Amino acid sequence: MMLLETERADGVNLGFGRRVRLTRTPDLGGPARVLIAVLCLGSLGPLGCATPPPPDDPEALESFRQTNDPFEPLNRVVFAVNIEADRYILKPVAYVYKETVPEPVQEGVGNFLQNLGSPVVFLNSVLQGDVDHAGETLLRFLINSSIGLAGTSDVAGEMGFVRRDEDFGQTLGVWGADAGPYIMLPFLGPSSTRDALGLVVDHFADPWTYLRYEKFNYARLGAEIVDARARNYELLNDLEKTSVDHYAAVRSLYRQDRRDAIRNGAEPDLPPLPDIPADEEELEDEEKEPARPPAQ
Amino acid sequence: MKRKNPPAHRRNRILRRPWAALLATAALLVTAAPPAVADGAEAFIRSTADRVFTSYAEEVTDEQRATAFRDILTATFELRTIARFTLGRYWRVASSDQRKEYRRLFEDFLVLAYANRFRDLGGVKLRVTSVVTISKRDQLVQSEVDPGSGRPPIRIGWRVRETRHGYRIVDVIVDGISMSVTQRDQFAAAIRSSGGKVDGLLAMLRDKTGPRQ
Repeated sequence: MMLLETERADGVNLGFGRRVRLTRTPDLGGPARVLIAVLCLGSLGPLGCATPPPPDDPEALESFRQTNDPFEPLNRVVFAVNIEADRYILKPVAYVYKETVPEPVQEGVGNFLQNLGSPVVFLNSVLQGDVDHAGETLLRFLINSSIGLAGTSDVAGEMGFVRRDEDFGQTLGVWGADAGPYIMLPFLGPSSTRDALGLVVDHFADPWTYLRYEKFNYARLGAEIVDARARNYELLNDLEKTSVDHYAAVRSLYRQDRRDAIRNGAEPDLPPLPDIPADEEELEDEEKEPARPPAQ
Repeated sequence: MKRKNPPAHRRNRILRRPWAALLATAALLVTAAPPAVADGAEAFIRSTADRVFTSYAEEVTDEQRATAFRDILTATFELRTIARFTLGRYWRVASSDQRKEYRRLFEDFLVLAYANRFRDLGGVKLRVTSVVTISKRDQLVQSEVDPGSGRPPIRIGWRVRETRHGYRIVDVIVDGISMSVTQRDQFAAAIRSSGGKVDGLLAMLRDKTGPRQ
């Protein structure tokens, strides 16, 4: 709960996956989260918080617990606003960027931003006790910053030094912290209490935060947002078009993506799937409607 | 092999590393030997993925891709198991008519959601990186594809089950994100928001997928 009052969160996760670190975020998240705290802690339940299912329904309770989205009603409102902001501002900008800027330039911009993120990735790799990846990240930074023309070219990647993003939310996860309640941040996208705290820590751990040129950090922020949106352009559009509950789909993807990032892509923990007995299968086959005519 | 079975997810955790080690050793020992049982799932995935990626390369319009995708989907996926899993605890409360309609709509929905999702991957080649047994009936075939243009490789895990009709896919896990889990989660939310009524989800699916061709 402490987290809800934190000053500001610095990061964005557009749709799923590509976390973008922000520096100097406009302080939009703070008031909203104080509002959540007031609404929920002040037990004005229905206004801001999801009502837990009745205690006589253990399955529903278990699913409520697993989803871990006590602020769902408010989160959904924030999500709806984010979607509108995306539709009218970010998406058109990302589209123009994607369609007009030559691909090598886009690639260079992406590499440059990635390289700027290296110090934070390095620190978090160290904190996670992943010395190998810390070393790899350090080498990547040194190689790309020099031979790679200030980071615009991923020479190190071609040499086989693998890029992997690490942030403080992941570090906390490696240390055993649960993700905590799901939070939809205004303009910044899906997060959780743990990951939002991670964003704040990463912000202060990032050497570029202390750069004297304020404009640089604003430009970096803007570039990161547009770059991430453009890279996931089709994917995010498809997702919106093809989900029955866009909010819940994004939430599920975010949760799974973060777990995968914490595992560093190691084999996923897969749920048990139903085992359908053969006789039931046959019964279903008999019931099944007549086969549809072959596709043209 | 008889033993007390811990829950599947625990079992996975226990077996994960030893299996990986075992498979690695086995791979070293039998590289020259004819394909063993474990290769069945791998070969199945190789040919299925080839079909998918080739169809992405060959088909021109979204409609053509959808038709090709539906054929592959119904032939290689164990849709009845996936459908049941994605409806979760609501499967039990659904009537037989609801189940029937759900299974039909679910197939349409998968075609809508995924037929064109990976259209960029036309003609790519799949690299199988490992095959792991994850439960009594299931194996996980881990693979990678290279999307080109400097982007990092995409990890695709195929959960394969041995059924009466041969191997069938029961889940696809792209960069750690399970398709079945994602659908289950959003379907559960859709049902909850319609007051716990399966009909609410069916209406939404009908609405999304539109009239059937």
